[in-house]
This record gives sequence, C-alpha cells and structure tokens, in this order.
Amino acid sequence: MTDEPSPTRPTGLIFSLYWGSILINLTFPWGLLAIFEISAHRRTAGEAFEHLSLHFFAPGYHYFLVGVLSAAPFAAWAVFLLFHLGWNDRLESAQRSRRMAGMLGSLLLMLGVNFWAHLSALMYPDAQDALVYFFLPYVLIVLIPLGYGIGRVLLRFAKVIRPDDGEPA
Amino acid sequence: MTRIQIWLNLSGLGVLIALLGFTYWLHTGPRAVPGLITQLHDEDTTEQILAAQWLAKLGPDAKPALPSLIDLALRGPDQEVSAAAATAIRMLNLQVARDVVAGYLPALWDADPAVRRKACVVLGSLGPVAKPAVASLITMLDDTDELVREHAVGALGTIGIPQTEIVAALTKALRDSASVVRYRAAAQFAFHIPVTATSLPTLMELRNDPDKSVASLAEVAFEHAHRTDRRDVSNLVSLLERPGEKDYALQQLALLGPEAADAAPVLIPVLKDHLALNRYLAAEALRAIGPAAEEAVAALIAALHDPDPIVVESAAEALEAIGTPEALKAIATRRKGTAS
Repeated sequence: MTDEPSPTRPTGLIFSLYWGSILINLTFPWGLLAIFEISAHRRTAGEAFEHLSLHFFAPGYHYFLVGVLSAAPFAAWAVFLLFHLGWNDRLESAQRSRRMAGMLGSLLLMLGVNFWAHLSALMYPDAQDALVYFFLPYVLIVLIPLGYGIGRVLLRFAKVIRPDDGEPA
Repeated sequence: MTRIQIWLNLSGLGVLIALLGFTYWLHTGPRAVPGLITQLHDEDTTEQILAAQWLAKLGPDAKPALPSLIDLALRGPDQEVSAAAATAIRMLNLQVARDVVAGYLPALWDADPAVRRKACVVLGSLGPVAKPAVASLITMLDDTDELVREHAVGALGTIGIPQTEIVAALTKALRDSASVVRYRAAAQFAFHIPVTATSLPTLMELRNDPDKSVASLAEVAFEHAHRTDRRDVSNLVSLLERPGEKDYALQQLALLGPEAADAAPVLIPVLKDHLALNRYLAAEALRAIGPAAEEAVAALIAALHDPDPIVVESAAEALEAIGTPEALKAIATRRKGTAS
C-alpha cells in the first residue's frame, strides 16, 4: 500500500456517474412514457410530448413526481459514490477497483429493477400503479448494498478465473 | 477528486433539488389556477376536461375559475367537457351548481334528442346537488329516444337522492323495452344504489333477461341485495377520514338511509367541513337517516346559519325528517324569520 494519491484517480468517471445516474433516472420515466404513448397509443412524437406535459403536474397522474421519485434513490447512490470513491485520496488501485465494482454492481441492479418496474406499470396498468411508484424508491435503496455485494463478488470471481490480471483479489 | 470538487457536486445536487421543488410548487395548488383557466379555453377537449378535473380537486382555491367553468357547463359544445365543468362547479359553489341545474331543466324538453341527452349527462355529473332535477329526470324515462332514457337512468343513479323516488324510477327502468336502458338500470343496482325490497322481484325476473349482459348484471345486483349491513356502514365511516373519498362516502351513507344510523355521530362534525358540498351531503345523509339521527339536532340547528343557502335548505329538511319537538321548533322559528 502506498500513501501517495493515485495518479489515475477516475475523477471524470465519478463525475459522469454522479450526474449521469441522477439526470438519466430523473428523465427516464418521462422518456419511457413518451415512447409508450408513441408505440402503444399510436401517437406522434409531438402528441406524446403534449400528453406528457399536460399530465406533468395533473392530479391523478403527477408524471413530474414519478420522475423525482425515480431519481431519488439514484441520488442517494450518487452521494454514496462521491464519498466512497472520491473522498479518500489515498486509495490504492486494487481497492478502488473493488469499490468501483461494488458501485457499478448496485447501479446496474438498480437500473434493471427500475426499468422493469416502470415498464410493468405501463404495460399492466391497474389501480395499484401509484403504489409501485411510491414503494420503488425504498426497494431501490435496499438494493444498493445488495448490488454492491454482488458487484464485489463478481469481481472476485473474475479474478479467480483470470488470476493473471495483475491485481490482487 | 478534491474535497472542494466533492462539496461542489453536493451543492449542485442541492440546487437541483431546490429547483425541482420550486418547479413543483409553482405548478400546483392555487398557483396552477391561472394556467388552468387558460387551458379551459383550449380547443382540445382532453385539455379542457383535464383542467376541469384539476380545478375540482383544488376546491375553494379554484374559485377564480368559476366564470369559465359556468360558461363551459352551460354553453360548452361537448357534453363530456360540460359534465366535467359541472362536476368542478359543485366542488366550488353549490348555489352556482343549482343555477346550472336550473339552466339545464328546459333542455330536457328540447326537440333535439342530442340536447336532451346532454342535459341528462350534465345533470348527472352534478350528483346529489341536482336533487331538484329528479322529478324531471324521472319523466325522461318515458322519452321516445332510448339513449335519452339510458342517460336519464345514469343521471338518476348518480344523483341517488331522494332514495325512494329514485329506486322506484330505476325499478321501472328495469322493465324498459330497450336492453341498453335495462342494462344501465341493472348496473345502478349492481354498483351504486342499494337494492330494496321493492326492486328485488324485478331484479329476480331480470336474471332471465334474453340479453345475457343484462341478466348477469341483474345477478350481480341480486347478490348485493343484502350488502347494507353494519360492516358497510363502518367501511364508509372509515372512508370519511380520507380527503379524496369523503364526498363519495357521504353520498353512499345518504343512499343507505336509516340503515346508516350508526354513522350519525361521525356526520355531526362534517356539518362544519370547509367544503360546502360535504356539509350539504352530511345534512342529506342525516335527513336520510331520519329520527335515528336525533343526536345531530343541535348541530343541524347550528347549520341553519350556514353561509351556503343550499346547506341551510338541506339542514332544514334533515330537521324535519328527524322530527323531534326541538327540531320542529327550530324550523318553525326559521320559517317565521323568513316570512317576516
């Protein structure tokens, strides 16, 4: 281990992941809704956008809040990323790789569940739709440590099957 | 990554959250009303309906939109838009809602069936507030146009009070020559109006209707015949706690009549609700409960001084239905005051 800060600190990557995860997941439900309107309800892109803007704050729809609720757990993830990978200047490369694998594991798991939940709510609409949007953030928050563990286990597994990678597991 | 960079990114997130919060605040509550008034004048009927529904949810905050809503309710070319506007009006001002009722009563006798249909739909959208239109709507069950009869059945089902007259009219509609009318009438008994002893024999016959959809709805209504038990009342009482369900629960309690007697103590505080519609519906429910709502007499006497004349009228009717000496004395005093 060295006390010197690593010259290859992925500042740019952290920055991209931080803002990317927040902004993409804020706008993702709106984009999905627009695509759904175009494909399922045979609307033009203009009509889909108009439908979206009309229902953005409307009672019973609250598309704006759907986006905010979708982004909230990713904001929590992004803050975790910032401190976990950015705070300590003295992280050695292997340690940083493990942490990054954990963070990417949780991000991918969250993205997958988020996509599936939003798509299901659109494809199989029922009276419980609003509950999906309400409980999803809590589910995604719980998935952060779970995905983190999975990411690190997968990295360890990768090191086992490719031991000559040059970095300790 | 330096500490400054981390704090800058965190500050950026804070700014984003503040911006999102401000955007939400700007587009909700009373601040949304000017935009919604503009939306009411849009050419797109979907936009108009959505704006009217939104204004209805805003309640008294949406009062600046009342002139536009009245215009749409009375003169809007689309029946769905007019109905949505009328629904919003009843949440804002009962007296204006009654004016809309008065405005549509002559339309029930129009030579054009489309105008008569629209009148039925708009009157129905006003719900129990359109009680004065019940007698006229009942006569529409003899209209030559079957769609007018069907819409009249739907309107009577949504108005729901006074229960005896409505149940008698809907029972008559169960024997209509047009299956579409029989279907709508059976649907009222299946989902909205409690089945009474007077409607039960007709519903039993209707289970053998040649139209299978009518027969199956009659079967559903028949199965619901004994649903007005104590459990239903307690369910409705628990719904009173939910802001969005309050008017529905009150209306259903009014439909149950004396069987909703257990709900009387819970209805008393609703007589002081901030929304005139809820106060009106509470008084109507107490009127329907009748003598068993004796404990509400004092609150109903206080409601005779309500700022809304429709609530006052309904409170007086409730006192008359309860009929205790104290209640009758209060009505007599009020009548003397009105006469002088």
